[in-house]
Amino acid sequence: MKPDNTADALRMEVRSWLHEHLPRQWRKAMTGCDQEAFVRAQREWFYKLAAAGYATPHWPQGWPGGGRPLAEQKIIYEEVARADAPRLILYFVSLYHAACTILEWGTQEQKQLYLPRILKGEVWCQGFSEPNAGSDLASLKTRAERKGDRYVINGQKTWSTMAQYADRCLLLARSGKSDPPQGGLSYFLLDLRSKGVSVRPIAQITGDDEFAEIFFDDVEIPVENRIGADGEGWAVAQSTLSSERGLTLVELTQRMRYALPRIVATMREQGLIDDGARRRELGELIPKVHAACALADRYLLKRISGEEAPGDASVVKLYYSRVLREFVSLGMRCGGLSAQFQEDFTRGGGQETGNWPVDFMNSYNWSIAGGSDEVQRNIISERLLRMPREPRNWQLSGERS
Amino acid sequence: MSQALNELRDSARQVLGKLGLAADENQTWPLLVELGWLLVALPEDDGGLEQGLAGAVAFHTELGRGLAAAPYASALLAIDAVQHAEFAQRQSFLERFTAAEYVAAPMAASHLDLRRDGSRLLLTGGVAALESADRATHLLLSSQDDRCVALVPTRQPGLSLRARNTWDPSRRLFEAQLQDVPLDPALLLAQGEAAQLLCRRLRSLRELSLAADAVGGAAAALTMTVEYLQTRRQFGRPLALFQALKHRCADLCALSVAAEAQLADTVSRYETRLAEPDGELAAKTARQLACSVYARVAEEALQLHGGIGMTSEHACHRFLKRALLDEQLGLPAAQAACDIAGAFIAAC
Ligand SMILES: Cc1cc2nc3c(=O)[nH]c(=O)nc-3n(C[C@H](O)[C@H](O)[C@H](O)COP(=O)(O)OP(=O)(O)OC[C@H]3O[C@@H](n4cnc5c(N)ncnc54)[C@H](O)[C@@H]3O)c2cc1C
Repeated sequence: MKPDNTADALRMEVRSWLHEHLPRQWRKAMTGCDQEAFVRAQREWFYKLAAAGYATPHWPQGWPGGGRPLAEQKIIYEEVARADAPRLILYFVSLYHAACTILEWGTQEQKQLYLPRILKGEVWCQGFSEPNAGSDLASLKTRAERKGDRYVINGQKTWSTMAQYADRCLLLARSGKSDPPQGGLSYFLLDLRSKGVSVRPIAQITGDDEFAEIFFDDVEIPVENRIGADGEGWAVAQSTLSSERGLTLVELTQRMRYALPRIVATMREQGLIDDGARRRELGELIPKVHAACALADRYLLKRISGEEAPGDASVVKLYYSRVLREFVSLGMRCGGLSAQFQEDFTRGGGQETGNWPVDFMNSYNWSIAGGSDEVQRNIISERLLRMPREPRNWQLSGERS
Repeated sequence: MSQALNELRDSARQVLGKLGLAADENQTWPLLVELGWLLVALPEDDGGLEQGLAGAVAFHTELGRGLAAAPYASALLAIDAVQHAEFAQRQSFLERFTAAEYVAAPMAASHLDLRRDGSRLLLTGGVAALESADRATHLLLSSQDDRCVALVPTRQPGLSLRARNTWDPSRRLFEAQLQDVPLDPALLLAQGEAAQLLCRRLRSLRELSLAADAVGGAAAALTMTVEYLQTRRQFGRPLALFQALKHRCADLCALSVAAEAQLADTVSRYETRLAEPDGELAAKTARQLACSVYARVAEEALQLHGGIGMTSEHACHRFLKRALLDEQLGLPAAQAACDIAGAFIAAC
């Protein structure tokens, strides 16, 4: 069989599976529903996908649907986007961040313990950011003190997506002193039911609470739940962070492309379909959306062939984030005054649901989280364009360091 | 990109690099003819280098990068038209047009009416944006309704050329006026439906050549700017250390890389469909993005150079002027955006 035939066959297989299994009218059901209903629906959709092997095509051979070449994984994500299936927000960290980190750094025991549970629906969250350590993640202060065969954790994490529903947490904490600060970090797989953990949801600008704070008060973690060596946490965290690049951006850019008709629908609703200015803006947006897809595709190909250069991922993320903002703000402008009134929004519907003000607010996810636009610009200019790095030492006049 | 094309491209970059950004047509044109660059897209059977559309686009990109002052895009359009037409003198014309003889094809929309007078076909109207037409033996023209494509000898009664000085020093544009110019039946390349397909193919190719020119120009202007910021010192440090400037360069980098990826994607998907409406739309889409990115990069490049960027000896203005002209050639940017939106809305 020629490779093209395999690819086409897989595409058709996924397409017809989705046609058969995608809950009809899921958008309607997820619009205006509460979080509990959303979490239930996410679980159901996850079980179906996982059973079919479409939730974990990026896992190695031996796992359901695993061991597929990247090109085939890409087809699955393209089809999921095309079918406008729900995004698995609840499982995003489990399937990517947790799984990839454990696969790359975990011991045999850790793999055997955690991966099957992910497939059974355990939810993970990422506990990296702290109130005083965001872009400058390495400055984080949550302490992990070694006491015999355990670590004792004290401190606070924040902005942890879906932590209120999570069973486990990828925890980055400081276990020793070091200069540079990256050196003293260790990485833990934490059971969130441990004593001393409390999770408090944070209200977001949409009125929703998709992320939460996590507090640690003398929380004990057995040594065997550390992943990587003591002090190796920073390197492990890099794997976690890079796991959401590549395929995720292919899915997101494809979704954005398939969502373009939502802008047209809004133009129709608002009687703007013949409005020259809006048409022109749409005509300027479409090429950018196509370019975002082409860029994400090309980045994935580079990863496949091992040609990824430092900074490449940042180009894709920055471009996507900027085009997404343009996309949703065009939607909002087309919506006009009617887009200023509060309407129920769709959970798990991706970044371009057609509830434009909510989409607009949510577009900040991509310009702030996972390395903000500004941080990506630093990386692009320093690594790709090879412009000099910021000097480390600084002092404000009048301030003593 | 094939190994062979990679090598061709590298050597083109080297040759143009040696010529410099300010070289004129008298230096550039003979060199590119001699090096066989006009043969890049032709199949081996026609004596070509067999690199197809990807090859042509790679060369357009290099010429854009080097701000080459030669009507290469226009010449390739005429060669492509002859290659894809079925007419008696195809072979001999291909040989002539890939050697010393130059045919100018319009780089913007033309307005020509075709009239039948007995057995004769007469062309009347105006053509804008003919590059280096004073050197051309023929013009490649099509009627307004796309139903006739022909080679029209430049020196004949009823046809007049007028030089129009553009701000872009790398291009010499001419306008042509035609008054009842009779078409030589031996020089008719296509008529009827075949002509419509050929016209669409040529428009797609023209858009892609402009996109590639823009991709090359944007990359070169950005590289030049980053290099300048690294050497220029103010406040006791290289300007490249200022984050405000680094971030602007990073944005320009993301834009340029995206336009390049989009163009490459279009070439690989639509190479065989350029004569179809979706191929033309894809070409417009790639070009719309690339040319707007080029203009943005060139504008920022001048700003980031400061005063030196406003001097005629510095290359900043050359990039800027070429970028601004590129945006207006082919299908003007504003119209392209409306066309793209119109086609998309119609399909929704
Ligand atoms: C929706 C959402 C979900 C998130 N989910 C998670 C999660 O699940 N787990 C988790 O650990 N974290 C999560 N985060 C946190 C996220 O990683 C941080 O918000 C991000 O790293 C930015 O840190 P900060 O918010 O502290 O902003 P700051 O770092 O304080 O930045 C403030 C502003 O300054 C800019 N800035 C910072 N440093 C520089 C610099 N060197 N040069 C130029 N500009 C700079 C930033 O770009 C930003 O504009 C999430 C965030 C959001 C918005």
